[in-house]
Amino acid sequence: MRKDESLFDWVVVSVISQDRPGIVASVSKALYENHYNIEALSQTAVLGQFAMILVASAKKGQPHQRLETAFQKLSQTMGFNITLKEAHREDMVPYRKSETEPFVITVRGEDRPGLAYGVSEVLAAWEINITHLDAKVTSIGQKLEYVQIYEVDIPKQLDFDLLHDRLRNRGQELGVSIDLQHREIFRAINQI
Amino acid sequence: MLSSEEIIRTIEMLKNENLDVRTVTLGISLRDCASSSVGEVCKSIRSKIERHGKDLVATCERTSRKYGIPIVNKRLAVTPVSAVAEGLPRKDYVQVAKTLDETARDIGVNFVGGYSALVQKGLTSGDRNLIDTLPEVLATTERVCASVCVATTRAGINMDAVLLMGQAIKETSLRTADRDGFGCAKLVVFANMPEDNPFMAGAYLGYGEPETVINVGVSGPGVVKKELERAIQSGRRLDLGDLSEIIKKTSFRVTRVGELIAREVARNLNVSFGIVDLSLAPTPTVGDSVGEIFQCLGLDFIGVPGSTAALALLNDAVKKGGAFASSSVGGLSGAFIPVSEDLNISEAVRRGHLSLEKLEAMTAVCSVGLDMVAIPGDVDTHTIAAILADEMAIGVINHKTTGVRLISVPGKKVGEKAVFGGLFGEATIAEVRGVNRSSGFVSFGGRIPAPLTSINN
Repeated sequence: MRKDESLFDWVVVSVISQDRPGIVASVSKALYENHYNIEALSQTAVLGQFAMILVASAKKGQPHQRLETAFQKLSQTMGFNITLKEAHREDMVPYRKSETEPFVITVRGEDRPGLAYGVSEVLAAWEINITHLDAKVTSIGQKLEYVQIYEVDIPKQLDFDLLHDRLRNRGQELGVSIDLQHREIFRAINQI
Repeated sequence: MLSSEEIIRTIEMLKNENLDVRTVTLGISLRDCASSSVGEVCKSIRSKIERHGKDLVATCERTSRKYGIPIVNKRLAVTPVSAVAEGLPRKDYVQVAKTLDETARDIGVNFVGGYSALVQKGLTSGDRNLIDTLPEVLATTERVCASVCVATTRAGINMDAVLLMGQAIKETSLRTADRDGFGCAKLVVFANMPEDNPFMAGAYLGYGEPETVINVGVSGPGVVKKELERAIQSGRRLDLGDLSEIIKKTSFRVTRVGELIAREVARNLNVSFGIVDLSLAPTPTVGDSVGEIFQCLGLDFIGVPGSTAALALLNDAVKKGGAFASSSVGGLSGAFIPVSEDLNISEAVRRGHLSLEKLEAMTAVCSVGLDMVAIPGDVDTHTIAAILADEMAIGVINHKTTGVRLISVPGKKVGEKAVFGGLFGEATIAEVRGVNRSSGFVSFGGRIPAPLTSINN
């Protein structure tokens, strides 16, 4: 982030498309040509579907009309689904209500409707924020398994054991195994 | 950010490959508990252990739940009782041991190590009392573990103490004859005994250690085996250098787990963190075996020709990975090949692939010693002492720790089975060749001088 933030306006852009080469290039070209600077960006692809979210800044008072037009053109010619939303600097902070510790929840078992809802409903009720979520079918040993991995921030004052029990019970109801572990164990084992 | 592959792989290690922390051992100094009154000594010991150790089990369990890592054993290691009880008459030593036993039970740990003496150069009256009371203590207590250091590279081998320990093993086995001589499973004879070893039965708190300290023993033979299997099954062409590299990387992961847990437990107990012991410790469970690693390395059984070389490779790779993962490596940090505690090794003895002599050869390259080897109950004291002396010599000359945990099984012969239960497992009784032919040598007594290589200042 640049120093004198009061001199800038902010926009949030999301792009969804069938994945293929050139999507990032087209979107970033439109931003560059209209004098926007990309402040932060994240991109992923799920089953061939491209998704990107980015935050960009422009000189204060600069109308976003020209960028909107450029994006409309991209939508028509390239088939992108693009949204543009104005934002405020003060909104550009991660969600944080209290001191938290990072944990990882892993859900394993047979795929079925309602798994994401079943788990996230518990998290929502406990005011636990999901910081990263990944779900896919993957091969473990000889067999294929459906795996969901939630990275979450758990408030420090929360009774960890109670939450663990709650998630385990939910896992039993849903017919999957659910584990909750501090993120540090994964870092320790996998990263130098 | 963590990749989902990393997370899934980690969960697999925990759930299906027996990755765990084998022991968290809290060392507590009992130096300030010495007194000439047995009542005072026992009271001080109880109160000090309770003060420092009362939260050990709960803290370990909480840490275990937080990271999803099983901590299999919670244990205590204390100052050698030979020093703490030096001011007491012999009859009171057993009382001290019983106090340790009861206090350990009350705070919920499964073993307390430190019924120990260091006698490599000679015995004080306290050392002598301790050795004399070993059979009674090991027979009448449940949780007390004993160890005696009879040799070091600096001092040589105290052959008088070796003979005494031969007698102690024999008597302990007779006192616990109804349990196949199980008392001997809680007694180790050492050369170059480490001061910070977290593993039983040889754990004690050395004289150079702090007031209280957390030392951790990691595990992971199952993880090493799976990684090797996975690589071999992938169809890639691998040579032994590649396999060594795989073991090294796995050891890094396992050690990192140990250090993470050790530091967290130490912080929560407000105790200093000591060391991580890198030893690959097996259990009598399929998939948690050091012997199975030998099979992955292409040997039909541990003990066949090639086993010494394979063990050298394994242990060296474990050390290299572990030393990179932690700057606080200590304890034994060598591959364990405890016969009864490893299903596969036990089976190798039963089938006749692994002999006492081969085990001894393997201890020369890396492993920690003759561990949990069951021998016939009719092997005489002098022969047992001579086996101890041979193993001590390997440690002394090679500047390494060697330990002996021999179980003389009363009334049983070669090929019969001794059953110890739980983590101690069961073992087929191994043949001891050349019995009754070493008396002349061990009866000379005195000290085998320190080797020339000990003069290195």
